[in-house]
Amino acid sequence: MSVAEVISVAEDLRPVLIAKGITKSFPGVLALDNVDFNVRAGEVTALLGENGAGKSTLIKMMAGFYAPDRGEITVDGVVLSPDPSSAHRVGVATIHQDAHLVPAMSAAENIMLGRWPTRYGWLNKRLQKERAARALARVAPHLNPSTPAGRLSSADQQLVEIARAISEDSKVLIMDEPTTSLSPPEIDRLFNVVEDLKSKGMSIVFVSHWLEEVFRIADRVTVLRDGRLIGTRPISELDHDKVIRMMVGREVRDTILTKRPVGDVVLKVSKLTRENVLENISFEVRAGEIVGMSGLVGAGRSELAAAIFGIDPYDSGSVEIGGIAVSPNDPKAAIEAGVGLVPEDRRQQALVGLMSVKSNITLSLLDRISSFGFLSMAKEQAIADREIRALAVKTPSSKTRVSTLSGGNQQKVVLARWLARKPKLLILDEPTKGIDVGAKSEISELILRLAEGGMAILLISSELPEILTLTDRVLVMRSGRISASLPKEQATAETIMSFATTG
Amino acid sequence: MADRVPQSSGLSALRGRISFIDLVQSLGLMAIILLGGLIMTAMSPVFATVRNIENVLQSATIIAVVAIGQTFVILVAGIDLSVASVLVLSSVLAVGLVQFQGLSPEIAIILALCAGLGIGLVNGLAVTKLRIPPLIATLATMTIGRGMAYIYSGGTNIAPVPRIFIDLQASRFLGVPGVIVLTLVLAALAQIVLSRTQFGRSVYATGGNPLAARLAGIKTERVIIAAFMISGLMSAIAGLLITARFEAGAATAAQGLELAVIAAVVIGGVSLFGGEGNIGSMLLGVLLLGLVQNAVNLLNVPPNWDSVVSGLVIAAAAALDVYRRSYLEAGMRKKIIAKAARSTPKTS
Ligand SMILES: Nc1ncnc2c1ncn2[C@@H]1O[C@H](COP(=O)(O)OP(=O)(O)OP(=O)(O)O)[C@@H](O)[C@H]1O
Ligand SMILES: [Mg+2]
Repeated sequence: MSVAEVISVAEDLRPVLIAKGITKSFPGVLALDNVDFNVRAGEVTALLGENGAGKSTLIKMMAGFYAPDRGEITVDGVVLSPDPSSAHRVGVATIHQDAHLVPAMSAAENIMLGRWPTRYGWLNKRLQKERAARALARVAPHLNPSTPAGRLSSADQQLVEIARAISEDSKVLIMDEPTTSLSPPEIDRLFNVVEDLKSKGMSIVFVSHWLEEVFRIADRVTVLRDGRLIGTRPISELDHDKVIRMMVGREVRDTILTKRPVGDVVLKVSKLTRENVLENISFEVRAGEIVGMSGLVGAGRSELAAAIFGIDPYDSGSVEIGGIAVSPNDPKAAIEAGVGLVPEDRRQQALVGLMSVKSNITLSLLDRISSFGFLSMAKEQAIADREIRALAVKTPSSKTRVSTLSGGNQQKVVLARWLARKPKLLILDEPTKGIDVGAKSEISELILRLAEGGMAILLISSELPEILTLTDRVLVMRSGRISASLPKEQATAETIMSFATTG
Repeated sequence: MADRVPQSSGLSALRGRISFIDLVQSLGLMAIILLGGLIMTAMSPVFATVRNIENVLQSATIIAVVAIGQTFVILVAGIDLSVASVLVLSSVLAVGLVQFQGLSPEIAIILALCAGLGIGLVNGLAVTKLRIPPLIATLATMTIGRGMAYIYSGGTNIAPVPRIFIDLQASRFLGVPGVIVLTLVLAALAQIVLSRTQFGRSVYATGGNPLAARLAGIKTERVIIAAFMISGLMSAIAGLLITARFEAGAATAAQGLELAVIAAVVIGGVSLFGGEGNIGSMLLGVLLLGLVQNAVNLLNVPPNWDSVVSGLVIAAAAALDVYRRSYLEAGMRKKIIAKAARSTPKTS
């Protein structure tokens, strides 16, 4: 039975999923306050709002992860009980913001996860492969069902999750920030799949902080702010500015570039080489300069950052900060030499989930806030309060566990850590990933202010607009090499893309 | 930017309550302990005597001191099975070095402590440099340590012990037995180290997310090695305590002590996954375990049944704790909604 047979397209636009009066609180936070939300058959609904607005919380409720404190969710008239398996039964499939497949299991096993077909109680591998392959063929014909999920790119992992939704004959597919780690072609492919599913009558809910994407694919927009429903409108009634006003309740300024004086060389990378990863990389970044680093996913940008910061070893070449060579493979030495890194994967590489917001902010400052090994609690508190205010981190308190913050606010905590340390060189790897529109422009301004203050900045970003507006110079990487170094005047979307793909 | 700062209405009032939860959590174990104490008082005339309580606390000191060290190791997401072996090794060395080698008791004690530190160092190096899983690495040193203690002592307890141990056992500060005071001092020191020092913070970070800790500039391998060395040192100190208590270099004592210690630490709220827990509530776990042991003795539970009874009580305590925590959270949630409903005006 395919999705198309189950849901007749003629029934279009009737609400499939209705969430009524949803209220949900966590210790210290009212995450959702009496929110109504519905999803109609054959439509794409974009769920928008600033970081911490409550989007993921609402989604987790529809996925049966949390029970609402008040309110009710029904799918085709059936009340959803707070239990993920109930959500699956009534036809709601969800791809969470921090989702995951079982890395060691094959794509096919992941698609059939928990529903492995059996015969006489034994796993029927053949049937499993067949069913998985059928679902996979619709969204990702290029994938081999027996590849372990851990070896797939994040884009392909997502497609596997979508295939799982299809194989379950889900009526509603919910995706929480599905595009954050995808490259433009991968986003295109994802959106083609979405269009296809929609035309077959499936309802899709998705969250994105990129309005371009919203206008490209959504039929309706629902906006949340501070846990309250601001409104639901057809996309045809909206434009960019209207959406932003609904989300933040005010206008967002465009970032204005100012001319900055450029100082001495802060970072000097010479002939850096790591077999099969980086090849003969040389470049410099000066104080007050913002150097962009562009390239496709997998071009070696994060690997370069890892080598500079001493996370990964390299075979030959050198990294100098302020004229002094930093020893490889030692992040502590890099930090002491004056390097800061905001890594792409904050959950894995930057945050200690069990610790408080405060302790996470000061984690790389322990030497500065202690004397004779003893921490100064007052200093720590003062620094944390200052940075929380400066970045408008939305948290009930500085003592809240960082893992309970929304995705975007967790990212701000990582930024705050390095702002507090004031390194000479700050490497930012996709700093606005998962950050809302308002905060994005704040972070852009912040980067400019830091550069004005004389910090050297290496900005790795897949967002061309971000690169184009912020940077003084763009390095383009392709298969582990720098394929171009473009001064501001020559850096355009076209030149960058051409060097990224065929330099 | 000002309007994006967290809405302060009902929330600032709740701020204090977050740490309040932690407090109530340890009060939970405390409540179980008090309740158990009351029941015991009713059931046994001996229980509530000064002598019995002192006895419970004194035997708890040995587990407590070992558990302090174990807490450091579990906080960095490790586990140390070698503690009981280190304990007996330290005990036989402290007595044997005086009796067999003719060293002064002070030197013997220092060497016994060094043996503990040394085994901790070996554990730490095996785990960090050789990347042997802690369970396996310390299983090996556990077997070796016990073996060495047997070889050195000839497989029997060594007596008599130097005067200093007799004095230690008899000592009192303000009427409180010295060993109890010593344990409390060690616990207080450990708590200060964990909550107030750079090293302590590094311990939590290393256990919570080793990669993030490393990328924040923490030398995680050194932190892990140090944690194992602290565990070794604490076990060696516990070895001195047991020497004083039994008045012998106790080669055959403390069989299976490592499991009792791990159970106490976990009941005391230290997460086996690392990064979470504190000395204060951990000690309550030790106390609870000591109480159960005492109850089993006083109530004349048939010897073959005592471990079954202890196991059941441990499971019940753990379940009660989980239940209480979720009950508490539900209550908090209701309050927040009520408060928000009262204090926030509806916007658009
Ligand atoms: N498990 C939790 N415990 C405590 N607080 C939580 C928990 N989950 C979410 N919150 C809080 O609820 C609020 C809403 O969070 P949510 O994750 O829904 O935001 P979001 O709209 O998805 O934001 P983002 O765009 O940053 O992902 C936040 O203030 C967050 O701190
Ligand atoms: Mg979210």
